[in-house]
Amino acid sequence: MSLFFLYPAFLLGLLAASLPILIHLLNRRRLQRIQFPAVRFILLSQKRISRSYRLRHWLLLALRTLAVVFLVLLLANPIFQTGAGLFAGGGPVSLVVLLDNSLSMTWSGDGNGFKQAKEAAGLLLSALNAGDRAALVPTSITGAQTIRLKGQKDVLLRELDAVEIADGTAHLTAALDKAYELLSEPAGQKEIRLITDMGLTGWDQFSIAALKRFDPSIPVKVIRISRKEQPLNASIKAIRLGGQGVGVNVPLHIEVTLASFTDQEIKDVLVQLSIGGQNKEQKLATLPPRGETSVSFQTRVSQPGAHSGQVSLKKDGLAGNGVADFTLDAQDKLKVLIVDGDPQTSLVQSDSFFLSRALHPAGEEGSSLFLPTVILADGLNSAALDAYQVVVLCNVATLPDAFVANLQNYLRGGGGLLVFGGDKIQTDNYNQKLAQLAPAELREKKTGPEASGEKIDKFDSAHPALQIFSDPILLESLKSSRVWGYTRANARGKSAVVSLANGDPLLVEQKIGDGKVIFVTTTADRDWTDLPLKTVYLPLIQSLTQYLAGGKRGQLDPGIAVDSVKEIALPPGLVGKSLRVAKPNKQDSEVPIVGAKDRAVAAIADNDRAGIYRLSFPAGAAKDSGAPQMYAVNRPFLESRLEEIGERELQTKLAPARAEVIPVEALKEGGKRTDLALPLLALLIVTLLLEGWLGQRF
Amino acid sequence: MADADKNYFDPKVLAGIANLSLRARWVVEGLMSGVHKSRAKGFSVEFEEHREYSPGDEIRRIDWKALGKFDRYFIKEYEDETNLRAYLLLDASASMNYASDGITKFDYACTLTASLAYLILKQQDAAGVVTFSDRIEAFVPPRAKRDYLTQILHALENRGPGGETNVGKILDDIAGQIKRRGLIVLVSDLLDEPAAILKGLRQFRFKGNDVIVFHLMDPAELNLPFDGNIQFEDLEATDLRVITDPRAIRATYQQVVNEFISDMRKQCHDNAIDYQLILTATPLDQALRSYLSWRG
Repeated sequence: MSLFFLYPAFLLGLLAASLPILIHLLNRRRLQRIQFPAVRFILLSQKRISRSYRLRHWLLLALRTLAVVFLVLLLANPIFQTGAGLFAGGGPVSLVVLLDNSLSMTWSGDGNGFKQAKEAAGLLLSALNAGDRAALVPTSITGAQTIRLKGQKDVLLRELDAVEIADGTAHLTAALDKAYELLSEPAGQKEIRLITDMGLTGWDQFSIAALKRFDPSIPVKVIRISRKEQPLNASIKAIRLGGQGVGVNVPLHIEVTLASFTDQEIKDVLVQLSIGGQNKEQKLATLPPRGETSVSFQTRVSQPGAHSGQVSLKKDGLAGNGVADFTLDAQDKLKVLIVDGDPQTSLVQSDSFFLSRALHPAGEEGSSLFLPTVILADGLNSAALDAYQVVVLCNVATLPDAFVANLQNYLRGGGGLLVFGGDKIQTDNYNQKLAQLAPAELREKKTGPEASGEKIDKFDSAHPALQIFSDPILLESLKSSRVWGYTRANARGKSAVVSLANGDPLLVEQKIGDGKVIFVTTTADRDWTDLPLKTVYLPLIQSLTQYLAGGKRGQLDPGIAVDSVKEIALPPGLVGKSLRVAKPNKQDSEVPIVGAKDRAVAAIADNDRAGIYRLSFPAGAAKDSGAPQMYAVNRPFLESRLEEIGERELQTKLAPARAEVIPVEALKEGGKRTDLALPLLALLIVTLLLEGWLGQRF
Repeated sequence: MADADKNYFDPKVLAGIANLSLRARWVVEGLMSGVHKSRAKGFSVEFEEHREYSPGDEIRRIDWKALGKFDRYFIKEYEDETNLRAYLLLDASASMNYASDGITKFDYACTLTASLAYLILKQQDAAGVVTFSDRIEAFVPPRAKRDYLTQILHALENRGPGGETNVGKILDDIAGQIKRRGLIVLVSDLLDEPAAILKGLRQFRFKGNDVIVFHLMDPAELNLPFDGNIQFEDLEATDLRVITDPRAIRATYQQVVNEFISDMRKQCHDNAIDYQLILTATPLDQALRSYLSWRG
């Protein structure tokens, strides 16, 4: 049941209803004064008629006000409607049906909400009369679609048939924008019908202020698909990597966070992990009411490179998105050559001891991403540097010529050199041999008692190898470390990556071609610092090694949400070329690669379906450019939340447009419209006659 | 000629004549009324007959010449034309100073009083005037002298309207001062307590006076012909104010006023008092004719 006006602009005339009252008040102010002898008779008369006079007076005022109100309402032409049917007469109708095909419709209406919504849309479109025009706008609209008002019912019904449930949230702003754009053309009667489950997520993102077009005179009727019972409702909130990274045959820890949206505990949810289409592990989980729980999986990948994975939930009657994709970039083992310049009979006392343990903690074959090989300084001449991604020199006294000769090519080819200081190092030899390669000129050695060690004070927090210090535990560990011996270094105007409290550099870096050289001015063992005993040592060494190797640590990418934009960073040489993207539904598209500062970027916006998107790079793109081979697009987490926006809140969101919420069942019942113009005209005439009669009696 | 007759008594025409004496003569002469001879016997200058003395007759009225001639006592009797003593009581309260159109009630009352005085004196009756508000403003005792009109007119012209009405009390006072019976003519708008007015009038009647009441009203007092929201302020009690829309109360007002008039008329009739409602728009001859009709 609703009341609306064909010409609501006339309602402004209701302000005129105050005119009789204003005139009454003005008259009271403008009194005429008359001196009169028989005031006593006037008083007597007033007393005699006081009650009836006042009654008539107010009645007259009320009748005059009512007459204005009736006239204004008559001009605005009110229509009274029962049910939710279309206009029954009164000229051609321009109707826009907004069909909510967001993901939450999958579970609304007790499991068949989208079917109900399509049936309701079908009813509306079938009710069109000759001369009426309509358009069907799915809420998954992104703005690119061409939609027009049309009068052919059969075409509209075919369009309706083709609408599928989307993987994302309802784009209510875009959909309403399109509706107002379509209805901006002159038409007799305009109406917007939104068939929806009133999912909270879509409305959370909606703001009437964001609309480019808006016409508050067009009524918005929200046809609500409701559910009888609240289902068990949960979804996958997050997938993240635990442990050191993703490497070939390295234990892979994956943690899955599940969230419940229901008030009751959800027991025995089967959580499955699959990688590359193969089921790797499955577990049962219990979700607390409106709480979260984590499920850990441990597995391995045997092949390097990109892998797709999926986590799925299974339980009868469980509503909410139960599938989440992710991608893995499994890294082959990094080969590291460690040159120990001060070997001891006791391994613990060797300079390389802590370093090799940091890179290969468990000491088991295949348990680490790194494969360190320790040699003595004598072996440097014959070492095949190209067999290793990173070479680490620990307290090596002098650098053989043959090694230095190979080093330049090795570094330009992308190799990494990590040099630790120590008492054996001959600084002149280093300065001479590495004049073109060293990040700093080495000067005198500075040592003191352990107790007077310097704190590690500053570091470049933006440095890729030092991102580990975003972890407060590791940062605290770094700051608690002391350095009591180091080789002073002149960084030649460059700022040190890590510095001591007294300002002397602890870690300096130099890029050579695609390779990098890092000097650590203190020792790799406990001779000059207690750093090897600290928690931070292992991740710092691994991170520096990873960085020097030029590759990324094996990553797990949980993907992006549907309709988000995925940006792929590429080598600058690819600007102007294009990237081919294969969507989960096998559709291909080309995405141009554009320049952005010192790199190239491909922004992939067409991510409307959940699943794995595979990328094909243009010819000439280096395989090891670091760009992902694939990425996952997942359904928005909150779209699984089946909470609805309240009717009042919805009306507030749509204000000043007049919004009415109608259950879908009311639409099926049809309805009746009554034009109230004639009854209002009769009322107006009666009011005027009464006013005239009463006015004459005064 | 007819128009000229009419103009003699038209209050609007009279209002244009500033001199009250002239106004009174204008009215009375226009009335064209003959002088009546009194059938009552009394003191006069014109001898009519003799009659034999009877005990109780005044000794000074014995005709001594006839005693010498006839040796019997005869009493001389004269034709009496001056046995009427008229008191003209004029209400000079502030409420009389009202005119909706043309002449005020007070001007009208003065003209009426002066005309009556002129007429009475012309008929060789005695006429006197009392003007009053809440007290007696002027008291001119009745005399039958022809030139007495000047004194009466002087009393009328000497003071304008003012003060509150207290007709009942004034009538009491005047009644105490009048020793001989005669005619009491009250010219007033009677805007006082009806009971008090009637009480005073009754006292005159108890003393054997004839009483005529000329109830003066402005037509606006009768009809309340105003429009719009009006604050009415009383002419006498200045703090008495009332805001009203006259259209809303007109019918009731007219009913109230008519009830007042009817009540007055009835009470006067019951007490053998001659009551005449005179509107200030009414030609003056009507009032005078009613007097003459009473005079016979």
